[in-house]
Amino acid sequence: MSPADQNHGSWRRILGTLFLAVLLEQMPWTGWGLALRPDFVLVGVLFWSLHQPARIGFTTAFLLGLLADFQDGVVFGQHAIGYVVGVYLLLFLRLRLLQFDPLRQAAQLFPILLTVQLTVLLVGWLAVNPPADLAVLLPVISGTVLWYLVAGFQRLWHGKGMQDRA
Amino acid sequence: MATPGQLMFARGLGPTARLLIWLLIGLSFVVLDVRYRALDGLRSGFSVLLQPVRETLRAPGDIVAELGGFFTRHRLLQKERDALLAERAQLMLGVNAAQDLGRENAELRTLLQLRARPGQQVVRAALLYKGHDWFSQRITLDQGAGTGLRSGLPVVDAEGLVGQLSRVYPGSSEVTLVSSPGQLTPVVVERTGQRGLAAGGGQGQLELRYMPAQTDIQVGDRLLTSGIDRVYPAGIPVARVSRVSRSQSSPYLRVECVPLAGLEHSRSVLVLVADTQVTKP
Repeated sequence: MSPADQNHGSWRRILGTLFLAVLLEQMPWTGWGLALRPDFVLVGVLFWSLHQPARIGFTTAFLLGLLADFQDGVVFGQHAIGYVVGVYLLLFLRLRLLQFDPLRQAAQLFPILLTVQLTVLLVGWLAVNPPADLAVLLPVISGTVLWYLVAGFQRLWHGKGMQDRA
Repeated sequence: MATPGQLMFARGLGPTARLLIWLLIGLSFVVLDVRYRALDGLRSGFSVLLQPVRETLRAPGDIVAELGGFFTRHRLLQKERDALLAERAQLMLGVNAAQDLGRENAELRTLLQLRARPGQQVVRAALLYKGHDWFSQRITLDQGAGTGLRSGLPVVDAEGLVGQLSRVYPGSSEVTLVSSPGQLTPVVVERTGQRGLAAGGGQGQLELRYMPAQTDIQVGDRLLTSGIDRVYPAGIPVARVSRVSRSQSSPYLRVECVPLAGLEHSRSVLVLVADTQVTKP
């Protein structure tokens, strides 16, 4: 990214494209159009957080996610959390993505978009049908304790631990 | 990637820390919205902001529909007009009979000193927006609290019940469709008078629940609202039975129904605004 990219003119371009994406989503889509409609806002946010990570990132993603929550009439926070997770994954893969050609970039974006949708689904499911109690999470704690016991036993048995052998 | 004017190592929070912070904020939004209903103001704000945008963006679709209508064949229009005239004549007969019955009913009610049924107004509304949702099916209408709508009112089109208003904003409102998962509608089978509960099953389907295995119900039976819930007026067509099957494991029949209203394609609907009726049990 050259410094010339970061002149103030590109703010206008960023906001313009995001605004256009919001407008496209407000159209009265129905039927197959609605089913196939890409999430323009999400794609816009991910694109700009790939190319202008200093300007577009978590905050924008969260706010636009709230807007998406409103327009689908769902619980506030579903899309906001999903978009934030998407931006995180994109930042995680950012340096790799920037070296790819468009086809490979798109292929890498598929799992990110899928994860965003699944996050939205998970949060929505937890919000609509909250679990009766959090006892299902207890195995996580007991599993951690079990890990400690197993690792400690192994260290006792084999001396100082596996990493010393290498 | 150090930019000029920024220290190379003083980079603030890393992405993981920021992700965790935003996740916490997001979870608090979910809790505030679900548990405390504290974010309705935010919803209304978004609705006021987006209302004009949506009204404007509906124009392209309307123009396409207008153009399509303009080029309709003359012959087709004439045929449709004849059919409509014939239908109107037939309906007028029905209206006359209904007026007669209404008068008679009013007289009988005064004789029996029954309370008059609450009056009803109708508000026309048009489809403004349709959203994705995993857990329910909703559409947004272009009328809201400004025209006297309240949450809970029934929404119908020419064929039958569309759904129920679930959220009302100043200039728009959201309808939960009858086929939306978890939406319950008390119904009565038109042919037999058997009462039941129709539940939305998603994917444009309804399911008639808790029908004992020996119930007389056939494919093609119409379901009407029963009116015992005091939400829907009695006698609005809801659905037609499309499949009846018996399962070995359950004492109830599995009855699938298709909604009669054009949930996917009706562009303009009516909201029935009943006068508020306060009853004390």
